[in-house]
Amino acid sequence: MIEFEEELKKFHPLLEVEDAERYIHNTDVTDLVDLMIALADRSVMREE
Amino acid sequence: MRCFRCGANLTENDFCTNCGADIRLYRRIMRLSNMYYNDGLQKAQVRDLSGAVESLLQSLKCNRNNVEARNLLGLVYFEMGESVAALSEWVISKNIKPDRNIADDFIEEVEGNPTRLTAISQSIRKYNQALSYCEQKSYDLAVIQLKKVVQTNPNLIAGYQLLGLLYLENKEYRRAIRILNRGLQIDKNNTMMLNYLREAEDELAERDGVQALPAGKKQQMGASSESIVYQSGNETIIQPLNMPERRSASSLINIVVGFLIGLALMWFLVLPARIRGAKNDVNDELTEVTNELTAKSADITELNKQIAALQQENETANQALESLTSGSGIVEQYDHLAEAALNYIRSPEDVTTTANMLSQIIGDSVSENVAETLEQSYSVAFRSLYDYLNAEVTGQAASRFLNEGMSAYNDQNYDQAIADLTNAYQLDETSDKALFYLASSYRSLGDADKATELFSLLVNNFPDSEYVSQAKSYLRNGAEDESAAGNGGAQEEEPEAPDPQAAALSAFAAAQQAMQEAAAQQAAELQAGAGAAQ
Repeated sequence: MIEFEEELKKFHPLLEVEDAERYIHNTDVTDLVDLMIALADRSVMREE
Repeated sequence: MRCFRCGANLTENDFCTNCGADIRLYRRIMRLSNMYYNDGLQKAQVRDLSGAVESLLQSLKCNRNNVEARNLLGLVYFEMGESVAALSEWVISKNIKPDRNIADDFIEEVEGNPTRLTAISQSIRKYNQALSYCEQKSYDLAVIQLKKVVQTNPNLIAGYQLLGLLYLENKEYRRAIRILNRGLQIDKNNTMMLNYLREAEDELAERDGVQALPAGKKQQMGASSESIVYQSGNETIIQPLNMPERRSASSLINIVVGFLIGLALMWFLVLPARIRGAKNDVNDELTEVTNELTAKSADITELNKQIAALQQENETANQALESLTSGSGIVEQYDHLAEAALNYIRSPEDVTTTANMLSQIIGDSVSENVAETLEQSYSVAFRSLYDYLNAEVTGQAASRFLNEGMSAYNDQNYDQAIADLTNAYQLDETSDKALFYLASSYRSLGDADKATELFSLLVNNFPDSEYVSQAKSYLRNGAEDESAAGNGGAQEEEPEAPDPQAAALSAFAAAQQAMQEAAAQQAAELQAGAGAAQ
């Protein structure tokens, strides 16, 4: 049985033209590569 | 593949030959990112767009610089109708790899059709507005807005999802199924729409008594044949999604049904109203005509009454004219009065003739009410002349008739005596002497009834008269006197001593007889009047 209110919460506003620039700037998120580099740097510093 | 530290090209070794960095984990991360990309690509190739988006986002979480994954994500977004998100992904991809990036082609192609881009942007704005309506619980407005959205931007999966959910909420399951199937044609494995579709089909089956097949089986059969499969009793019904022929046939059927419904409405609603209106008009006209007829009938009745009244008046006038011109009419009376006046002027001493002429004016029937008759029937001049002549002649005539009657009585000429004494009494009704001798004349002639009547009249009208005792004596002993008198003629009898008791009885009998005669006379007059009126 689908709960309408709960299902409605799953919907979010779509990206409009005015919000595109903000979206582009905010997409520079951390990925697994960044985490790996950070971990590697931290281990090198620990060895030193 | 380049080293994440120095950017040198990596070899098959597990470390960078330039900087010596351990690249085993890095290489695994890159492989994972590429694996997600491949998964997303496979899903996108079978139009599992939502699954492709999830895989590509995972790929970008592993390596945000995976340009292929980002470009594909933008392409999937564009196919799902989210062109702004697609452009954003392509712009980011362009930033990561400015040269020889296929994102340039995508951006150019989208920006090369600004009309479509504007329409898509407006549809996205309307979608967001519809979502706002949903948050405000204005679901009807949201449905209206979403219908426009999916019409303007037919690939917007989010629009189909939200519209399907709203139809479900409104229990419009057939519409929900139809719109969700349209969305599933674009994104075939959209979990949300599949859930909604199953819910709609279950509700519809429950409502219509049709048992739906399990979603997995349905999807398995439906995905291959692009049809809706459900079970009704022991029959499995497969309904194709795209049937333009059926659609046109159903449209034709709908038109025919609509036409029939229109005819039925005309027959059951419009025609009765028209017929009722026509009947009302006819009834109004009938009422008006009836009213006019009633008025005419009333006029005719009134005219008939007037005619009857005029005929009555005419008859009355004719009767009046007849009464004036007949032998006993007023004209005749005027002639009698004129003759009496002329006779009185020529022979003043011949009062008896003049009196006879005057007596003819009034007549016997009205002689007792002379004054009243004159007052009612004749003019003032007529009455004045009549009164004058009557005053001048009547007294003398009465006296002369009395004397002549007495002379005839004494000569035993009773017939002449009766005539003269009758005239005398008519001219002077106060003459008890004339009345007594008139009664005696009748007695002498043997007319006992008339004699009794006149003697009774004398006793009643002249109780103080000197002749009363003789009259009473006759009334009391009329038979013996009659037999005693024989044919002896008139003899003056001395008055006897009155017997009060006998006198009262005699007077009572005479009065009773007079009243009976008067009543009989009045009845005869009334009968004669009625006969004249008829």
